[in-house]
Amino acid sequence: MKISSVNRKLKKLQNGSYAVKEIDNMRIVSGKSSDWNEIIKACQIAVSEDKNVHVVNNVKFTGGSDKPMRIPSLKDKFLDKRTPDVLIIGGGISGASIARELSKWKIDILLVEKESDLAMQASGRNDGEVHPGIDLSKGTLKQHYVLIGNKMFDRVCSDLGVPFKRCGQYVGFTQEELKPLIEAYVLKRIKVDGVTDTYIISGEELHRREPNLNKDFKFAIYNPSAGCVCPYGLTIAYGENAAENGAQISLNTAVLGMKVKDNKIYEVETNRGTIYPKIVINAAGVYADDIAQMAHDKFYSIHPRRGTNSILDKKAGGLLSSIASIKKLEKNSSHSKGGGLLHTVHDNILAGPDAVETFEKENFETRAESIDNVFDKQKNTAEKLNKGSIITYFTGVRAPTFEEDFIIEKGRNTKNLIHCAGIQSPGLTTAPAVALDIEKMTVDMLREKGCTVKRNEEFNPVRKPIPVLREMSDEERNEYIKKNPDYGEIVCRCEEISKGEILDALRSPICVPTVDGIKKRVRPGMGRCQGGFCSPIVTQIIADFMNEKLSDVRKSSDKSVIVYGDTKEGAEI
Amino acid sequence: MKNYYDVTVIGGGPAGIAAAAEAARNHASVLVIEREARLGGILKQCIHDGFGLVRFKEKLSGPEYAERFIDLLNETDADITVLTFVTKIVKTSGGYRITMVSRDGVASVVSKTIILATGCRERTAKQVFIHGTRPAGVFTAGTAQNFTNLLGQLPCRKCVILGSGDIGLIMARRLTLEGAQVIGVYEAKSTPSGLTRNIHQCLHDYNIPLYLSKTVTRVFGEDRLTAVEISSVDKSMKPVKGTEEIIECDGLILSVGLIPENELAETLGVKIDPKTKGPVCDQSLMTSADGIFSCGNALHVNDLVDYVSESGETAGKAAAEFNASARECIDAETNSNISYIVPQKIDLKGDLSKVVFYFRSRDILKNCKLSITLDGGVVKEKKYMFLRPPEMERIVLDFSKYNLHKNSRLIFNAEGEKI
Amino acid sequence: MKQLVCIVCPNGCTLNIDDSGDEIKVTGGKCKKGSDFAVAELTCPKRTICTTVKTVFKNAPVLPVRVSSDIPKDRIFDVMNEINKITVKDKLKRGDVVIQDVLGLGADVIATSDILSLIT
Repeated sequence: MKISSVNRKLKKLQNGSYAVKEIDNMRIVSGKSSDWNEIIKACQIAVSEDKNVHVVNNVKFTGGSDKPMRIPSLKDKFLDKRTPDVLIIGGGISGASIARELSKWKIDILLVEKESDLAMQASGRNDGEVHPGIDLSKGTLKQHYVLIGNKMFDRVCSDLGVPFKRCGQYVGFTQEELKPLIEAYVLKRIKVDGVTDTYIISGEELHRREPNLNKDFKFAIYNPSAGCVCPYGLTIAYGENAAENGAQISLNTAVLGMKVKDNKIYEVETNRGTIYPKIVINAAGVYADDIAQMAHDKFYSIHPRRGTNSILDKKAGGLLSSIASIKKLEKNSSHSKGGGLLHTVHDNILAGPDAVETFEKENFETRAESIDNVFDKQKNTAEKLNKGSIITYFTGVRAPTFEEDFIIEKGRNTKNLIHCAGIQSPGLTTAPAVALDIEKMTVDMLREKGCTVKRNEEFNPVRKPIPVLREMSDEERNEYIKKNPDYGEIVCRCEEISKGEILDALRSPICVPTVDGIKKRVRPGMGRCQGGFCSPIVTQIIADFMNEKLSDVRKSSDKSVIVYGDTKEGAEI
Repeated sequence: MKNYYDVTVIGGGPAGIAAAAEAARNHASVLVIEREARLGGILKQCIHDGFGLVRFKEKLSGPEYAERFIDLLNETDADITVLTFVTKIVKTSGGYRITMVSRDGVASVVSKTIILATGCRERTAKQVFIHGTRPAGVFTAGTAQNFTNLLGQLPCRKCVILGSGDIGLIMARRLTLEGAQVIGVYEAKSTPSGLTRNIHQCLHDYNIPLYLSKTVTRVFGEDRLTAVEISSVDKSMKPVKGTEEIIECDGLILSVGLIPENELAETLGVKIDPKTKGPVCDQSLMTSADGIFSCGNALHVNDLVDYVSESGETAGKAAAEFNASARECIDAETNSNISYIVPQKIDLKGDLSKVVFYFRSRDILKNCKLSITLDGGVVKEKKYMFLRPPEMERIVLDFSKYNLHKNSRLIFNAEGEKI
Repeated sequence: MKQLVCIVCPNGCTLNIDDSGDEIKVTGGKCKKGSDFAVAELTCPKRTICTTVKTVFKNAPVLPVRVSSDIPKDRIFDVMNEINKITVKDKLKRGDVVIQDVLGLGADVIATSDILSLIT
């Protein structure tokens, strides 16, 4: 749409004033409004057909204000005067996978993450689906990378020791009359978009494979290449393998500012000192546009979109063994497919997510209506779905651009910057492929700067995972326990996690000695009692390992105190 | 540890200890498997008194009560293995093969019978649909009790307690004694869930307010809890919009119900009573699976440990005497004023001379009469000034003098004024 | 006429108390303990305390204790203060005295668990 037509359309919006102008491949929307959803709408209207042009949202929002970015309370000089070849900002799936691929080279890599662990935001708060790419048309970066990324998962997960199941995905239809239309759709996907293995199955076949799915499903699209992975597990594995191969991962490290001179970032200020990187990679998720702004290179905007998932007790795991959702043909403004049901690699059922626009980048609160909406909808996928089986739920915030596509490119003004931004679903699936391209871009950029970039001869792509005792045969388990009796001491009864596995997590390449850090790595507290029985023991194991007091152990961030210290003063001894 | 036992007790809490000792006294070879480092179960952390009034006519603390039973168990030749976790039970020709892990490795034994004394777990914040952030400082009462009483750590300085279950009330007093401020106990129901005496000695004595028909709907705080949102609820327990109030606190302690742990029982195909969430049992506390018994809080959630021990002993004796033979059961039926009854079945081929029933009323009933009819004729009547859902009732019947047959109908009727 | 809930045992009987005459008359309880409780409640209410005391042992940092007999209700926090000053250094057994005749109230603070002799 031409700028003049966009402006005419924007004039029609009721709850604010909006105008757009195009400068340097940006469509800058300005104005004022108290209606966030209308601002989103205005920016969506402004989206250009030219893929090189991005919408920047400069509308003043008067209906509320987002909290400042969460930053750690830690302040020291640990990283002061570090001069890495590459500084990666963000320890999500993008940053971690890029760090790992770059560690194939003999370069100095520093990844900073402001939270107390990797995968603390969108990468740790999604459903873990490895997408087949069925809902994407050719011509977008998402579609380009999803096909390559999906195919890489067997190898990547096997190298990194991460459980991955290619469990397949069903999209069920109750409207028989849609079949010719869907057949045409599937044919296009196969012939034009390259999802070559997708096909339609009958209702009978669907119910033979997944007997608990809606009896009214007349047919379904089946995507055998769909799979599931533990999203934070994969992120941590990537990070650990990067660390094993020489990359430095610095947690609790927030980028607070940058100095840019002659179109080059030369100084990056953090809470742990000032860093002087040769190249900066922006993988900052919902804050990618803020980092771009700091780097004098903002040409896109991120508009956060909330989604809530529920996790069901393993006892309900028999509901389905794959991924399934219902599709009705109706006008739906939602950009997510509205969630589905997924049998996770840990044998829980996951229901969701929904999709709600929000001006808050880090509000991870859950709300009753999100869960109600998902369950109302997903009961049409499998009627036996029961809220009573929920053991927990969580909210993640996606980081889309208004073009709803990724931004994988070098800085437009700032020359030593690479953006890996706008990463939303299927960002987990695309990460392995995106990381390879960014690796190449980075190496080229370093060489252009005159650096010699040599292969890291010691690079080992294989990460040895922490053994999972509960999945072993009795004989194998016995051997492990004989070698290390800690493997025989069960701490978490719901998930059958031993003290040995917890100690392994504490000794892993990126030690995160918090209750949540341990939970993400080896799962104590992930079961139906949600840590009711084991959290005091896990806290104690962490305190003993770190040689600190119980009251020094944290749930997650450095401010998340678990206990306030001894109840008694006692006598002086 | 031997290769074969007559009776294997899974769980070394009060039910399991009593069951094991009783089975051993009845000349069975017995193994007790406990996953924690010490016997005693949750009583280890229940340092308050009031245990054993029925059994010992004394007010004992939880550890004292448990240790008295442990002493009795130690007098028998039962084998005990601690820090041992059962991973699998499969039926074999001679009984059941139990696989377990411990610091010594993976081991297995065959047992003619199994007593499931696996206790219960606490309902969590997410299971009662508390929304908001996920900060530190939200504890189930049992977890807070563990930190306070076993680890000597203060879990909060200023807290709200949700749920008036006994553990919640006990923790209100306990945290107050340790210097924490308890802002109040909030109960979504219109009547308290805990024992009346605990309302008095734990809340009234310390001027801790109890708010009924109110619940926590949201929690705040990104790192540590900073506040909770309290809402009034309507009769269907749904929060009423517009009644929200924000209360600043650093702790939320949940006492919102206990769920019997029957995951092992379910792997054995044991039939579960949806009302008790424990196995359906006959008067010997044998489940629907022959040779598998249930007792204590795994059978149904008790409010007095004395009855937990009693059910353990019933199961222990029956397991020791077990001989595989066909059962012929009738149901113990109830009218709608009774929320559940245990045992749910009477085996006509079993011992009928002393059948102990436990039941709870659905609502508070005043001036109540319980009449038990067998094939239309009244076999027993009992009057109660009150029947209250939090207070479990126990009644003993002798059926040996009646002619019970497979078509007999046994019905428990409770009638009274609803208040 | 006053009403009290008896806390002596889990029955939690509602007691009706008539203290208009010289003698306090109590009805409604299932047993005599109820009337003793009611009289005490009106004259000198007493309570027990169950708590923990600090130890020097890493694997049992606190030891559960209680008072050997009821103490006046208004002295609960005084007794707590005394208990909080103590650190147990010996492997006491269940029933062993931790504080003798605490604050001269005629009750001892006693250990209620053998945990110290069971830990390593």
